[in-house]
Amino acid sequence: MKYIVCIKQVPSTNEVRLDPETHAIIRDGRQSVINPFDLYAVELAKRLKEKTGGTLTALSMGIPATERLLREAVSRGADDAVLLTDRAFAGSDTLATSYAISLGVKAVGGADLILCGKMAVDGDTAQIGPELAETLGIHHVTDVCEVLDITEKDITVKKLTEAGTVTLKVSFPAVITVVKDIVQPGLPSIAGVRKSMDAPFTVFTAAEASADTARTGFAGSPTNVVKTFTPEGRTEAVPVAASDAAEFILNAIKEVR
Amino acid sequence: MMTEKLIHPMIEDYAEYLKDESRSVGEAESISFPQSEEEVRAIMKEVYAKGEKITIQGARTGLAAAAVPHGGHIMNLMKLNKTLSMREDENGKFYVTVEPGTILSQLKKSIESRKFNTTDWSDDAKKTFIRFAQAPEQLLTPDPTESSAAIGGLVACNASGARSYLYGPTRGRVTALRIVLTDGDVIDVKRGETFAKGRELTLTTEGGRTINVQLPTYQLPKTKNASGYYVDDDMDAIDLFIGSDGTLGVITQVELELLPMPATIWGVTCFFTKETEAVKFVDEVRNNITRLASLEFFDGKALALLRKQKAESTAFAQLPVIDPSYDSAVYTEIQCDTDDEAKERLFAIGEAMERCGGSEENTWVARNASERDILYFFRHATPESVNMTIDRRKKIDPIITKLGSDMSVPDKYLAEVIDMYNKTIEEEGLEAVKFGHIGNNHLHVNILPRSGEEYKRGKELFKKWAAKVTEMGGAVSAEHGVGKLKADFLMIMYGEDHIKEMAELKAAFDPKGTIGTGNLFTPIVKGGAF
Amino acid sequence: MGRIVIDPAKCMGCGACVRTCTAGALSMNESDEAKNRLHRIAVIDAGLCTLCSSCVSGCKFDAIKMETEKAAVTDYHGVMVFAEQTEGEFLPVAFELLGKGRELSDDLNVKLMATYFTAKTTDEEINKEAAALIKAGADTVFAVKENEKAVKLEESFAERICAIVEREKPEILLTGATMFGRSLAPRVAANLKTGLTADCTVLNIDKETGLLQQTRPAFGGNLMATIICPKNRPQMATVRPGIMIASQKDETRKGEVVIENTEASSVAGIEILEAVKAAKTESIKDAKIIIDCGRGIGSKKNLKMVKELCEKLGAAYGCSRPLVDTGMCEYPHQVGQTGCTVAPDLLITLGVSGAIQHLAGISNAKKIIAVNTDPDAPIFTAAHVKIVADCMDVVKDMLANI
Repeated sequence: MKYIVCIKQVPSTNEVRLDPETHAIIRDGRQSVINPFDLYAVELAKRLKEKTGGTLTALSMGIPATERLLREAVSRGADDAVLLTDRAFAGSDTLATSYAISLGVKAVGGADLILCGKMAVDGDTAQIGPELAETLGIHHVTDVCEVLDITEKDITVKKLTEAGTVTLKVSFPAVITVVKDIVQPGLPSIAGVRKSMDAPFTVFTAAEASADTARTGFAGSPTNVVKTFTPEGRTEAVPVAASDAAEFILNAIKEVR
Repeated sequence: MMTEKLIHPMIEDYAEYLKDESRSVGEAESISFPQSEEEVRAIMKEVYAKGEKITIQGARTGLAAAAVPHGGHIMNLMKLNKTLSMREDENGKFYVTVEPGTILSQLKKSIESRKFNTTDWSDDAKKTFIRFAQAPEQLLTPDPTESSAAIGGLVACNASGARSYLYGPTRGRVTALRIVLTDGDVIDVKRGETFAKGRELTLTTEGGRTINVQLPTYQLPKTKNASGYYVDDDMDAIDLFIGSDGTLGVITQVELELLPMPATIWGVTCFFTKETEAVKFVDEVRNNITRLASLEFFDGKALALLRKQKAESTAFAQLPVIDPSYDSAVYTEIQCDTDDEAKERLFAIGEAMERCGGSEENTWVARNASERDILYFFRHATPESVNMTIDRRKKIDPIITKLGSDMSVPDKYLAEVIDMYNKTIEEEGLEAVKFGHIGNNHLHVNILPRSGEEYKRGKELFKKWAAKVTEMGGAVSAEHGVGKLKADFLMIMYGEDHIKEMAELKAAFDPKGTIGTGNLFTPIVKGGAF
Repeated sequence: MGRIVIDPAKCMGCGACVRTCTAGALSMNESDEAKNRLHRIAVIDAGLCTLCSSCVSGCKFDAIKMETEKAAVTDYHGVMVFAEQTEGEFLPVAFELLGKGRELSDDLNVKLMATYFTAKTTDEEINKEAAALIKAGADTVFAVKENEKAVKLEESFAERICAIVEREKPEILLTGATMFGRSLAPRVAANLKTGLTADCTVLNIDKETGLLQQTRPAFGGNLMATIICPKNRPQMATVRPGIMIASQKDETRKGEVVIENTEASSVAGIEILEAVKAAKTESIKDAKIIIDCGRGIGSKKNLKMVKELCEKLGAAYGCSRPLVDTGMCEYPHQVGQTGCTVAPDLLITLGVSGAIQHLAGISNAKKIIAVNTDPDAPIFTAAHVKIVADCMDVVKDMLANI
């Protein structure tokens, strides 16, 4: 069995800080981290691999420094790591990213099961999993909350829906995206950190991954961000008169139900 | 100022202000929630003149019952909670001035996200804030396990925390204080400005009054210590008020020094299958590895309690799985400038484990803030679990409250003191957990009484320990302060003569002896001295 | 005129296509450039190619496509929304999309289309069902007959939506950002090789360029981004439910209903075993609406009244620690640091003062309405709505007005 887990490097916090003078967004100096949702995917992949045997590769597209986080994924249970890094990948939107990731999957000879976190905490798009599956022409299941069974050929999963859950059996190859708390990620051990330093680590450039550069990076991204702004700050609580309270609350309940 | 609107009679609504995290419950006749120093002064003047007892409160997260009233008036400072100012010194160090009701976790969050309400700040402070917002991240070092503590409380008991192993307790970070005295006058004291001559200290109030203080003659133990007034030859005046347990006056402003945040902070919890291995490991790393920020211990009973909590309680479901073979654990934190340096130390820690009979496999490494939060949660869950157990047992017999020790000894007595705890607990047939700041030989032994009788025996046992620890040259309260619960240990530690000296010192500020009644002093001495 | 395009990413270098080519136009790339690649890839000599398309079906890896000349951006007109159903009922977001879609298509002066999948079988039933979409603003409705199963499968939906989009060429395609929508739309977008903006909260047409400006929160809502899709069509967005406003139903509106009989190619290898509807949430951890009581509610008798209210409103009840300490409430209902961390859509606090430990447990609530007699209670710093009142008066009022 071949497993691939996709990880994204994200800022350590979602807080957006503005320079009090220039009002420009300040990046905190902290190191980026593995997208928290991806940690669940890494942990799940590790456990599935322990059950079925096989290999687990951590895959990411990003700047060269992403090596640190890919090695962290190794310390958490992956066997090796692959990084797609090239100027040609810069500025990718979700379509271009999923294309690049699909090349990475092929570059390592494909996989039976590809696991992703439900979404990244910085972009919140939740699009890479399904777009990757479509690009590879394979099945996908999003919002997986439980793995019920896994065999050589297929995996049986439970996914969350608004109404409840649906249980699906999906044959390989397939992409699944997992929700928070599907498993409880552990922390790496010192032994794991040692192992990750010597683990195989492969870098692919766009050319090495046979990329059609018209489909990568900024050039291959149909969407462009034209403006970013911080939403109006959290204002003080809106007062509602005691006499209107009951009606107001009942209406608010109607709205969310 | 009219104080009628500020002072409220104690009604059922205020019941929660009669207790704190020590789980002991007191009594009071009135309560106030001043919102400015001016209000503090007015209330103080009036209530003190009437001769009523005054208990000063913050967030009531203390463990020594210092905030639990013994009758009279409660002055709760939680509405005095603004951040007032910020300054930068010539070395680029930042200082922040807050009111005592500021909550530590909120202040830390403001520092981290650089979000302060600067509307009422001076122009200079506003300019400093802009530099602060542009500067690298800053660190407020005090880190008591209960992060919802109030800053005033931190100062009053000279709180420490896991990182005190490297940074020392709150004392070292406090650079200025304002204290409202019993007559409503104010002392404004800045570090480095006023010193004692030998053991004599002269202070001048803002109102122009001179206070002459004869400092007690005892020597402080050379261990981590929060027992009684801090005194030393030629000491800085500010140090007298830090750790004074709400017995000299009301802190209305605190200036705290910030330090630059280290670039790399890695936490690692090392598990052992035998307690002796863990203790050996502590000696091994503290002698060989520098700049470890903390060394925290969890014994086998503590781990068992956490396993149980994880299984039973939703709030603790997020605890990582603790392998059943683990019998004790040591948490330590590496702080340094680069990842490479951190790796070197991490591997050195691993090697030290292996030398002590442990395995590098049995570790949790946290290399970013959210991973460290898991380990902090684990640390915090230990006393929380004890508290929840106590709350359940209290229903068996209401006399039962938390029995937590807070004693430290010099390095060379670490193994001996642990041995003493183990033996005596076993002899008494009590249930207990040990955890805490092993780097400073400062463990919290928490007895979990199953009956009122066990509670009483546990209390007696604590007195025996206090005597033993004093013999070893240790301190009876290393961080929680003495409050009311440990006043009798203080008597064991210093003896009656020195306690009388302390009482005389207090009388220089509080001639009626009504501020913080019951804190530091056992009823006997209070009667004798006043 | 079309052309054969080989996707080097999909080509596995097997060489099968070379053998199928009738014109000798295909060969395996052995050039210098190929040395940088992991394996050989097929290349086509367009001069020799006769566009017979035998290689397209001959490729096992779906790497060869016959591309008809891509329709220019200007060939795309109209706005299309995907109107999602669950168990034969349109979701509210379907009407919200039509409301917004109507506005956008009026701005562009184009028609509004809606596509949906129907379990109904007769034309009459379908026409009746589709009329709801027309009344809500659609000019044309494409009703795809879905005679499969109750559970929606992205792949089969995507295939048929893509076919309709390629035929109708809408310039904008909107999908509700429901869990299904957020799984379906990326599949459609990747298939159509167009841009998709997730979970938009604001949509409008740029008057100068006629482009759809799509605004969405990122960084957990701490940053807003406005995104355009200038060169690809359709411009796709998923739209957060509950944000856009459905237009007033117009009973007189007329429109066209097109019934789509195309069957999806069967989705082999994915099998639905079971669909379970979530039971009424017992735990406050997952509750959507929570009424959170503090000491201010007073007596145990009052708690009974609050519980009655919760039952009538379908809300869960939570409480602060003092209520558990005094034995009024059970521990599983405790909200806060040592209780449960909750994340409801709506949290109503009654007589909760707002100790920091309690606030730590409610910070993930989407909306907080706080009721307390003390106007300075810390709970109001965390609340969105502040009501200074005796909470039991409010409870009684609510019970009387449900």
